[in-house]
Amino acid sequence: MTEKEGGCSEKKREKEEKEDIEELREVLSVVSKEVPALIKGIIGSIFSEEAGRDMGRAAAAFYKELKEAGLPENVAVKMTEGYMSAFMSLGEVLKQAVGGGKKVESKELEKEISRRIKEKLAEKGLAEKEEDEEDEG
Amino acid sequence: MKLRSIMGIVLHATRLLLSLLFLWLSFGWMVRKAKKAFEKELVKAGMAKKDARKLSVWYSKLKNEITQTVKSLLFAWR
Repeated sequence: MTEKEGGCSEKKREKEEKEDIEELREVLSVVSKEVPALIKGIIGSIFSEEAGRDMGRAAAAFYKELKEAGLPENVAVKMTEGYMSAFMSLGEVLKQAVGGGKKVESKELEKEISRRIKEKLAEKGLAEKEEDEEDEG
Repeated sequence: MKLRSIMGIVLHATRLLLSLLFLWLSFGWMVRKAKKAFEKELVKAGMAKKDARKLSVWYSKLKNEITQTVKSLLFAWR
């Protein structure tokens, strides 16, 4: 390999490295926005004040029906407890997702995250293209 | 250009970590608020406060389960 060829391949390698770094920066910028928002949405759907209020209303409605049907207080409370334990299965699902069905759950999450990243990158690419066209015009 | 990109990477990675840390720290606070709202609705329906508190314990249990799951995930990943 001549010096010139060596220099060219060196430049090419540097250029590729720069492009990789730039791509990583863009991906991270999207991930840093989307992943926390995704997690916040998932947590908020169960653990927000509004979600607590809604679940309370559901349990309260169930309890009221039992009381109106004439059941004693302790039985109504016990049955409402049983009704609420159905929501506990979410914890079991999560355990299974991490332990047994780990691959399935993490694959779906991966797909969702990569889909969102691609969408955002495509939007950015389109926006840059439009800007370039405006500059040329 | 390269330096700017690297700084951008560091910035975004830091932002991501801080967001996740903030979510982790605010998780307990969110659970407390959800529990209170839950108990309030039950008490409104005529349930005794101690029974409402007993029922709202499942929120804490669920939170603990999720926390344990996330911790075991992190340790398994390491």
